[in-house]
Amino acid sequence: MGSKEICRNELRIAVRQLSDRCLYSASKWVAEQLVGIELDPVKFTPSNTRFQRGSSSIRRRFSTNENTSTPIAGVSYVSTPVMEEDDIVDGDFYLLAKSYFDCHEYRRAAHVLRDQSGKKAIFLRCYALYLAGEKRKDEENLELEGPLGKSDAVNKELVSLERELSMLRKNGSIDPFGLYLYGLVLKEKGSEHLARNLLVESVNSYPWNWSAWSELQSLCTTIDILDSLPLNNHWMKDFFLAGAYQELRMHNESLAKYEYLQGTFSFSNYIQAQIAKAQYSLREFEQVEVIFEELLRNDPYRVEDMDMYSNVLYAKECFSALSFLAHRVFVTDKYRPESCCIIGNYYSLKGQHEKSVMYFRRALKLNKNCLSAWTLMGHEYVEMKNTPAAVDAYRRAVDINPCDYRAWYGLGQAYEIMGMPFYALHYFRKSVFLQPSDSRLWIAMAQCYETEQLHLLEEAIKCYRRAANSNDTEAIALHQLAKLHCELGGLEEAAFYYKKDLERMEAEERDGPNMVEALLFLATYSKDQKRFEEAEVYCTRLLDYTGPEKETAKSLLRGMRMAQSGFPSMSAEHFPP
Amino acid sequence: MAGILKVPGAFDVTPHKVSLCILLQVYASPNQLFVPFPFSSFAQHNRLGLFLLALTKSCDDILEPKLHELINQSREIGSSSIDWLADHLISRLSSLSSPDDLFNLFTEMRGVLAGQDAGIVEDDQIILDPNSNLGIFLRRCILAFNLLSFEGVCHLLTNIASYCKEVLSSRAPHEAHLDGSGVNLMEASEYENMDLENLVFEKVTEEIEAKKKAGERIPFHLHVPTPIFGLVEDIELSAKPTFKQSTKGKEAISYAMTLDGSSGAVDHGFFLRSNWQIQGYLLEQTDAIEKHGSSFPLNALEFMLGQLQKLAPELHRVHFLRYLNSLYHDDYASALENLHKYFDYSAGIEGFDGIPPSSGFNNSGRYEIALLCSGMLHFHFGHPKQAVEALTEAVRVSQQHSNDTCLAYTLAAICNLLSEIGISNASGLLGSSYSPVANMGTSLSIHQQLFVLLKESLKRAESLKLKRLVASNHLAMAKFHLMHVQRPVLSFGPKASMKLITSPINVCKELRLSSNLISDFDIESSMMITDGSLSTTWLKNLHRQRGSSVIFEETEPGNRSNASSFFSQPNSIPGSVSQLVGASYLLRATAWEMYGSAPLARMNALVYATCFADCASSVDAAVAYGKLIQYLAAYKGYKAAFAALKTVEEKFISVSKSQIMVLKLQLLHERALHRGHSKLAQQICDELAVLSSPVTGVDMDLKAEASFRHARTLLAAKQFSEAAAVAHALFCMCYKFNLRVQDASTLLLLAEIHKKSGNAVLGIPYALASLSFCESFNLDLLKASATLTLAELWLSLGSIHAKRALTLIHSALPMILGHGGLELRARAHIAEAKCHLSDASFSVPETSGVVLDSLRQACDELQILEYHELAAEAFYLMAITFDKMGQLEEREQAASSFQKHIMALEKVTDEEDPLLK
Repeated sequence: MGSKEICRNELRIAVRQLSDRCLYSASKWVAEQLVGIELDPVKFTPSNTRFQRGSSSIRRRFSTNENTSTPIAGVSYVSTPVMEEDDIVDGDFYLLAKSYFDCHEYRRAAHVLRDQSGKKAIFLRCYALYLAGEKRKDEENLELEGPLGKSDAVNKELVSLERELSMLRKNGSIDPFGLYLYGLVLKEKGSEHLARNLLVESVNSYPWNWSAWSELQSLCTTIDILDSLPLNNHWMKDFFLAGAYQELRMHNESLAKYEYLQGTFSFSNYIQAQIAKAQYSLREFEQVEVIFEELLRNDPYRVEDMDMYSNVLYAKECFSALSFLAHRVFVTDKYRPESCCIIGNYYSLKGQHEKSVMYFRRALKLNKNCLSAWTLMGHEYVEMKNTPAAVDAYRRAVDINPCDYRAWYGLGQAYEIMGMPFYALHYFRKSVFLQPSDSRLWIAMAQCYETEQLHLLEEAIKCYRRAANSNDTEAIALHQLAKLHCELGGLEEAAFYYKKDLERMEAEERDGPNMVEALLFLATYSKDQKRFEEAEVYCTRLLDYTGPEKETAKSLLRGMRMAQSGFPSMSAEHFPP
Repeated sequence: MAGILKVPGAFDVTPHKVSLCILLQVYASPNQLFVPFPFSSFAQHNRLGLFLLALTKSCDDILEPKLHELINQSREIGSSSIDWLADHLISRLSSLSSPDDLFNLFTEMRGVLAGQDAGIVEDDQIILDPNSNLGIFLRRCILAFNLLSFEGVCHLLTNIASYCKEVLSSRAPHEAHLDGSGVNLMEASEYENMDLENLVFEKVTEEIEAKKKAGERIPFHLHVPTPIFGLVEDIELSAKPTFKQSTKGKEAISYAMTLDGSSGAVDHGFFLRSNWQIQGYLLEQTDAIEKHGSSFPLNALEFMLGQLQKLAPELHRVHFLRYLNSLYHDDYASALENLHKYFDYSAGIEGFDGIPPSSGFNNSGRYEIALLCSGMLHFHFGHPKQAVEALTEAVRVSQQHSNDTCLAYTLAAICNLLSEIGISNASGLLGSSYSPVANMGTSLSIHQQLFVLLKESLKRAESLKLKRLVASNHLAMAKFHLMHVQRPVLSFGPKASMKLITSPINVCKELRLSSNLISDFDIESSMMITDGSLSTTWLKNLHRQRGSSVIFEETEPGNRSNASSFFSQPNSIPGSVSQLVGASYLLRATAWEMYGSAPLARMNALVYATCFADCASSVDAAVAYGKLIQYLAAYKGYKAAFAALKTVEEKFISVSKSQIMVLKLQLLHERALHRGHSKLAQQICDELAVLSSPVTGVDMDLKAEASFRHARTLLAAKQFSEAAAVAHALFCMCYKFNLRVQDASTLLLLAEIHKKSGNAVLGIPYALASLSFCESFNLDLLKASATLTLAELWLSLGSIHAKRALTLIHSALPMILGHGGLELRARAHIAEAKCHLSDASFSVPETSGVVLDSLRQACDELQILEYHELAAEAFYLMAITFDKMGQLEEREQAASSFQKHIMALEKVTDEEDPLLK
């Protein structure tokens, strides 16, 4: 269909433009989406509603005169060939510079372009300088201090770049790419507000630069900021919003956006991975696994996001699959934080925590802001009973991203292990605040309240109730609720929860001591309530189990029969024949 | 940012060290004979040596001076050769353009050192002994350079280039000033500081020597204020890794610089150079925060801390200070956050650059302190339940880790908590949770639990030799004895005698024991000096030197002399100690106030206000001043009291507003009652009642007082039945919450109400009950006043009881005249006169002298108080006496005075009181 066709055309040109400017990750992303568009558009006859937002083609086709901003983006796209012109003028130098750039010789590239005045050349020069500075900064970080400590190395090019770019902007001779770079520089310098404005300006005039979008996304730390951005209504905005929602932990919204986008880009690996990410956050591990399996079939050398897959495999304890994955990424590229995390996960699953810590450390060496590595390392330290180290690792994770509920949870756990349940409560509170839908967090908090030292059962009940309401997969909450109510003398509530627990266990066909306990309680309870038939049912069910409960059930049954038949027999005694 | 940031703990070659090496080379040039080239005399040469020695010793500072600062400092040597030195240094540094130059430089350096095998040294040759301080420094530099990788060398080279660049670019204008006359102000002030440092040096070295011998731990003081006295939490955090460096000697050549960005931030804009000074600065700020409470500038400090954190991320105490700062500004969320952050970081291992904490504490040994702190945080914010939870957990964890010190402190904190909240709502609090007190059985009352806990805590503190804690425990004990009426400790059973007592002797004993602290510290004061405090002293002097105000400048000229004399010499007694001792004086004042000796109470408050005002927290100081003003009001009349109040109000402008506010309301109420403005009195009463229930919780004492005053107001307005009802309710409340002292005075008030309502027979039992209360609680002054009331009651039953009344009055008179306030004295005088007058056997001409004397005194006193009602009565009696004596002229005079007072009483003017906003 037209809209797909338009997207395709836009993307095709964008790939070329982006890679021409050496914005490789952006061009990679755009190319991925290009291939992700469904090949056979005739198959589907999309309804109007499906394209209400985002796609400009429909509107243009129906020639409505609504003031949509999408066509404007199209216009700006049309104007891009102007930039192509100066390519012809200084083509030779540019080509040389680009070749140098491609060989990672950034300073050389910048040097070649020193006297060029075309917009494209200026951008490439600045970008090369920026990257040169970044490279040097990373190296310095390694040279000056271990990457685990804080370091004061800065990109030395930032000052001069900012000066030049601000001058260009004042002259008005800056293109969207320059704006992007300017935003990047400002973000690095810490003036986030200005950076946001520039990035918005950049994406509004050139929406296909995914790098600009993702920088913008990292600057949107609250939903208010996100809502206040004056963005044009281009279809790229949907990608951006989906990603931003995910960062803001609005997983369902994000999922909805991605599913909508999948209508157009149905083969996009990126969208698939993002959906997997959202599902992972919603703890739908089965689906995540399916998605990743498919992803790996299509794209067997992918390393990105694979650490999440490894987390899922870890959670499901798939030893061989995890080792297979680890081997695959190791062969593909062993010096990626993701690879190290995967290997770390594998060793952790194997119970070799020292080795696993070593790999997480390597991941952190490669990227010291690797959030999941800090958190996972914390988990390992907890396993190794080195709680102070665990606390430290978790705390660093929290300092990198204060919204990481796993790290808060880990901190709480560490303190709980040290026998400080009250102190741990603070951290659990933080984590449930960030992720109120996760039953495990509520259960952990409840268990904290339940400890012998605190013994705040009322609070524990409240937490368990939250846990039970938010899809408690392990079904701890219901059982505990019943038990606690029983302990506090609320037999009615206890019976209610035992019944619920029982229903659940029946539905999931689980069996075990909990079942016996529930049955026993319910039998006694309904007997005390004089509901003998109900009690009999429970007792008969109990007879299927071995152990002392069977005997208890038998005696209960006997007692009930006695009581039921007792009355007539008594009367018989009164009137002897 | 000044200088170049350096990672502490590691010895790196830095541009600064390279310049030191170059200077060393000049100092000990191997080729020169006798007096080396640039120097004209030995003295100069030696001065350079001393200068270098000082510099090498301060090379562990976090920030190193920049080149131009170094050059400025080196001018101290004060010779003509300095220009040559500076030029030499700069040219040497700027000639380093390739890594090879650096290699050559350090190879040259090796020549400065005398080789081990050099053997014979010629007399007149200057050679650096490799084992001297300078020699070791040079060797360390060489070693560190040799350890550098090529990247490291490259870094050093670029750093040197930027180190030189600024000087080179500013060189041209600088040279214009080199004749010495054009030194700018900034430099001048630096010179002054330099002199100052030299002074401090000697002290510092001594102290360091002492500390080396003594301390393995660096006490880190956390002060926690409590309304009556500050229970000082002297938590000994185990030594920070930086302690290791103290052995290297810590004479810090350093000076303060105003930071460009923060120069507006009051006088906190100092930038500190050495690790110790930063620690010292932090400690000083800690003290300051505590002292000034919420009036401390939040943002200025926050800014400083932000800067510090950027500079030294491994300095976790910054988080702690942030915690304190937000604690005192009642920012719960941020306080909690920072507290957790501090302990998360400082307790881990990785944050410490691999240096393990000193022995004696295992790694997990700090978490109980975290609990202790969080307990106190909750306490501060008025969450007693959480506080108890945290503290019990702290007890448990410190038992687990066998950290007795922390346990002792935690127990003390629990005691403190109990004594603060126990009276109103703690019953059931402890029973609900698993706690060390719970196993004592729930049969014990909260007071008995508290008592047992206090004993336990004291015992622990004594066995652990935590002197401050012992002292503060003694204080808590004294407070307990003072405030709580108890049955004899050993008889809990139902059959035991129900006689209640207070034990002033115990109070006295505990107070004395707590004051012993100061003598302990006199003996070992040098041992207990903390690392930070010397830097603090230095800083304080700096403040003075620069003439910048220390935020909380004394505004009262009268007090200034006292305070400054205490300021002038650096006090060898740590602030926390003098604070504790001060608290004991304050408590003494309270005790005397209660037992009824006004002069002694006043004396103690005065001692506190003059000697300990420097280190006291503003809340405590306000309490002391409040006591003094109350004394003034009772003995010198309201005029004097209000004058004093005005100055005090200025002094504590925002600090402890409620305290001063309460005092003001009390005074105003008192005066309104005396003048007969019952409407105004009622209004003030209501305000007081409002103050008693702030957001954080109910202040029982204040609440009781408010309703007591309410009853008095009603009494003054002659609404007897209402007054009696209020007093009755008050009595019940006091009984319920164990406020026994208030019980006694309420009973007295009831007697008073019945007396005024003309129902003397009903009043007598109340007066007697009050009397027996006072007797068993040792409330001497109150007892005297109860006796007086009893006498008045008897008297009003008829003249036949006049003799009995007179004996009663005479028995109370010594106490009243010795310690009582104006009002009480006047009442006693009038009652005495009345007794004489109503006595049937009394004949005017013979004893008129006695009657007139006492009446005259009463009149004088009442006129000071402006107590119209009683004054009128006194003048009336006087007029009658004169009439009986036939002295008509005097009679007329007295009668006219009587009329004046009656008029004043009836003409309830609504004149706007200037003191009532």
